[in-house]
Amino acid sequence: MTDPETPVAVNRPATSPDGRRVLGMVPGKPVAGDRKEPDEQDLVMVWPHLLVRHAVAAMSMLLLVLVVSVFFDAPLRSVANPTLTPNPEKAPWYFAALQELLSHFHPLVAGVLIPTGIIVGLVALPYIDNGSEQRVRYRKVAVAMFTLFLVAWIVLTIIGFAFRGPNWDWVWPWTDWHGEL
Amino acid sequence: MDVTDTRPGMIARLRRSPVGRSIFRSPARLTPRDRAAGHWSNFFLHIYPVKMRRREIAFRYSWYLGVFSTVLLGSLVVSGIYLMFFYVPSPNQAYTDIQTLQTEITFGQYIRNVHRWSAHLMVLAVAFHMARVFYRGAYKPPRQFNWVIGVVLLLLTLLMSFTGYLLPWDQLAFWAVTVGTEMAGYVPFIGDSVREMLLGGPVVGASTLLRFYVLHVAVLPSLIVLVLMVHLWRWRKDAMLDQNTMSDQNVMSDQDRSER
Repeated sequence: MTDPETPVAVNRPATSPDGRRVLGMVPGKPVAGDRKEPDEQDLVMVWPHLLVRHAVAAMSMLLLVLVVSVFFDAPLRSVANPTLTPNPEKAPWYFAALQELLSHFHPLVAGVLIPTGIIVGLVALPYIDNGSEQRVRYRKVAVAMFTLFLVAWIVLTIIGFAFRGPNWDWVWPWTDWHGEL
Repeated sequence: MDVTDTRPGMIARLRRSPVGRSIFRSPARLTPRDRAAGHWSNFFLHIYPVKMRRREIAFRYSWYLGVFSTVLLGSLVVSGIYLMFFYVPSPNQAYTDIQTLQTEITFGQYIRNVHRWSAHLMVLAVAFHMARVFYRGAYKPPRQFNWVIGVVLLLLTLLMSFTGYLLPWDQLAFWAVTVGTEMAGYVPFIGDSVREMLLGGPVVGASTLLRFYVLHVAVLPSLIVLVLMVHLWRWRKDAMLDQNTMSDQNVMSDQDRSER
């Protein structure tokens, strides 16, 4: 019965899954054409289609955290001592890019103008890149600018986090590790 | 339409029993229309739209980074509440509390690890979420303002992480926060007063620890949950739109939407 080419006995009464009698089955394709192919733009029910995926994603992330926590302990250095400044003195990793900029520019630029500019830029982004076209190839300027910013920020973060040692001098992380999480 | 639920199986049979009917209160949803109504009347599903486009529920569309961020926030709340039982935010006690937590408290070290790694991962997840939304063009009309709310959530996440960084009161915490708050001091005119307000004094000390603690366990979590609720609510409202045909001019008003 699974092979659509095989003729099905139409004169034998069959039973449908819910127990009701089926009077007859007609083999072949429906008159109106083939079954509709699922379209990307079709609306589908969130339950179960999205919720199952979200549940799997959520549990995977939770599992990752629970497993990582078995093998890696959170760091705890010696007790805080205001008279003993460590060298290098490092901000948390997500501020490493700012700290790296501070070593190159005037504090007013690196500590105030650039962070403020980034926040204002991010807030204004949907009103600057305000066409209705979503696809990357139709908004090349916005994508190029954002990518430039993103790459620069990631590079600066990695440099500030891993490639800076005592006196904020350049170090190679594989010989001299100063990153702190 | 009269459709009787005759499906086999334990769950279906439980639903048909008197006890099952008292729990679920409504008959099984068999038709699509019924299922939509069932979704609509479920408290736990109210943050989700009833239907979404097939394209937008696939992993490759969003990489589920919003889900990851939300799950990590949940993990942080749960582990953080556990840690609060064993921690006093005072310079004399904070550090020894962490030591005791790690050596004597059941699961203390493990829960601290969960909290720490969840926090780092959440900053990453939120940042990647933003990048993904950008490249997907998912902030296009009429969703511009939800992007702005997302920027606020990113800043709140950073503040949550930064205030928490001080609490172990070790060298790492003390000097990272010293460096971090020095940046606030560079703001012209108001910089020094902002910094003193944040620190509760000229340098990182007892009042800083207490301020950061209160911000970390009360003020910022409440704010982040509130803003997140608005973020999700707007996401749900817009989730069924076909953005390819949207522009500023033909954005549906709420009234159009309720008539649909």
